[in-house]
Amino acid sequence: MTADAGEADSPPAAEPDDRDPEPAPGPATEDLEPAVTEAGDGDSAGIDPEEIDVASLTGPVRSLDPRVRLVWIAQSLLTAVVLGAVVSVGSALTFGPAWPGGVVTAVLATAGSVHALLRYRRWSYQVQADSLVLERGVFTEVTTVVPYVRIQHVDASRGPVERLAGLATTVVYTAGTRGADVSVPGLTPEDAEGLQRRLKRLAIAAEGDDAV
Amino acid sequence: MRLHPLSVVYRTGAAVSRLAWILVFLTVGSSQVGGLGPLRVVGLVVAALVLAGGYQLLYYRRFDYELTGDSLDIRSGVLSRRDREIPLDRVQNVDISSTAVGRVLGIAAVGIETAGGSDTEASLRYVGNQEAERLQDEISRLKRGVDPGEEAAEPAEPAREAFAIGLKELLLLGAVSVDLRLVPVLSVLLSVAAPSLATQLDPRMVGSSLVVAPLLLVAFYLVSAALSGAFAIANYYGFRLTQASDELRYERGLLQRYSGTIPLAKVQSLTIRANVLARAIGYASLAVETAGYGEEGGSQSAIPFATREKALELVREIEGVELDEFERPPKRARSRYAVRYTALALVVAGGAAAVERFTELQFPWWVGLALVPAALVYAHYAWKLRGVALLEDHVVTRNGVFVQTVQVVPYYRVQTLSTSATWFARRRDLATLVIDTAGSSGLRDSNPRAVDFGTDRVRELRAEIESRFEERITERRAERRRERVAALARSAGPAD
Repeated sequence: MTADAGEADSPPAAEPDDRDPEPAPGPATEDLEPAVTEAGDGDSAGIDPEEIDVASLTGPVRSLDPRVRLVWIAQSLLTAVVLGAVVSVGSALTFGPAWPGGVVTAVLATAGSVHALLRYRRWSYQVQADSLVLERGVFTEVTTVVPYVRIQHVDASRGPVERLAGLATTVVYTAGTRGADVSVPGLTPEDAEGLQRRLKRLAIAAEGDDAV
Repeated sequence: MRLHPLSVVYRTGAAVSRLAWILVFLTVGSSQVGGLGPLRVVGLVVAALVLAGGYQLLYYRRFDYELTGDSLDIRSGVLSRRDREIPLDRVQNVDISSTAVGRVLGIAAVGIETAGGSDTEASLRYVGNQEAERLQDEISRLKRGVDPGEEAAEPAEPAREAFAIGLKELLLLGAVSVDLRLVPVLSVLLSVAAPSLATQLDPRMVGSSLVVAPLLLVAFYLVSAALSGAFAIANYYGFRLTQASDELRYERGLLQRYSGTIPLAKVQSLTIRANVLARAIGYASLAVETAGYGEEGGSQSAIPFATREKALELVREIEGVELDEFERPPKRARSRYAVRYTALALVVAGGAAAVERFTELQFPWWVGLALVPAALVYAHYAWKLRGVALLEDHVVTRNGVFVQTVQVVPYYRVQTLSTSATWFARRRDLATLVIDTAGSSGLRDSNPRAVDFGTDRVRELRAEIESRFEERITERRAERRRERVAALARSAGPAD
């Protein structure tokens, strides 16, 4: 990372990779508040919660990138082929007919693909003023509200199939027991990074105290 | 500080006895082969003792802990060294446990729980009994001092007894506990005993199974009650809960003694649990959930078993909550359960009929149809016993027929809110609200939930909880800022 001369004498709360030199905070506030960095610089450490413009970070209801359908279809095809192969082998070992494997694959692949399409249609997320709201689910419709105050950290993850499609998933962790449930799949890498950055800032703006 | 010197002896003994089965295996194996004489066995034991003792001595010598003003520092490790600093204000619980042998030696294990991770954060194995208590007290005291809001140096009010269990409660606890984990054990026993039974009873007789089945149930209940009673006595004998200004402290156990602290500032939720038998005699248990990971997954038993009034009294004291009326799901939820459980009953009866029809087994399959009215009764209670209540500072949920759980969650402890509606629920315009907290996880302690309320009502509930949550968070934020300013003013003052 860039070793910036402007940051040399800043308090330890500021991370060394702050790219933009900023005026050092007044000595009176040093103990209280971390160094101030320019908005949009992608670094969550050292941002004054008061300085964040929450309104600029929120947005309308968004749907996922359409390519996520391909990812989900590919995943269900993979499952279908594997299970079909298992059935075929089982059938061959018991000297049964050859068709069950094919039928299993075909049925699972069709069902999985339809499910993937419906799932895409139902999936949406919205970065609201106080919380991240996710709506999803085909058979069971689920709406999850994650208050920014509760966000512990935000990850980006990319599975092998997702990488092929050029997509990423943003995972939001809370201290809750179902924390890992909150993830937004089917984002372009830029969107995933943008969402991650926005959530990080909103979490800082929310000034969450220790939830536990 | 060092561990207690006797911990070397105890740890060595524990390590060797863990390996004892290998020794037994070797001795038994050798008696057949004839390769390993008794002299060699003794030699092996001595070698094991020396090796284990040497290692434990090193462990002892390299284990060092220190309680500073605001953290517990631990340096440990024989091969790989580990230095840890645990900030005291992050400590959830401090537990002391001592085994029967440990009690004779006068040593106990101290466990420090923090949030996060899936294990006890640090354990001191083993320190002297007095040292263990000193640590527990000191950590409580220092935590109190660390809290800037209570810097006003009020003398800690003496702890007073909040609850103590008696023999009557312990025996009752055994009597109302039906442990379904015994089913596999007993069914194995039954399958051994069954052939002799079958020769005496004519399986075609309807009467025989009608007599045998209730007898089996009674026998199962008696075995289960006896074992549960023994378990309750072993675990909760001498249970005592004391309450100081800012924490609860419990101790319990017949042979193995446990004691632990529950800081009231870390309480995530409260759970009152009572199975159908306990409810019949007006008894219940109360658990306090924190975010730590104790032996019961962060759920600490505050009252193992007592009258419901006693449990409610403690809820009132801890959270200031008066449990009153619950709002029930709409009647269409009951129809849903009626359909669901009747279908289940019919599937079971149908399965029994199919077995009767297509196998050699002969039995009155139509007895299974008796499940249908039972299913309707169950459906009614499943509906009747569900509920939710939004109080001033808490949301309370109630669920469960055989084991009823009432969960009390302060609004500011909410982590995430989810509503979910399956396809079946949507057809009846029903949905479920799940309230996630940082409390304990696991199947037994599932999240508080308002199940099968009207879709619109669930939306209202969610919005209401959300807005009250935001209110409480804003209040706490303002409070924290005041504290920071106060702390700053103090540190700028002449005293420093």
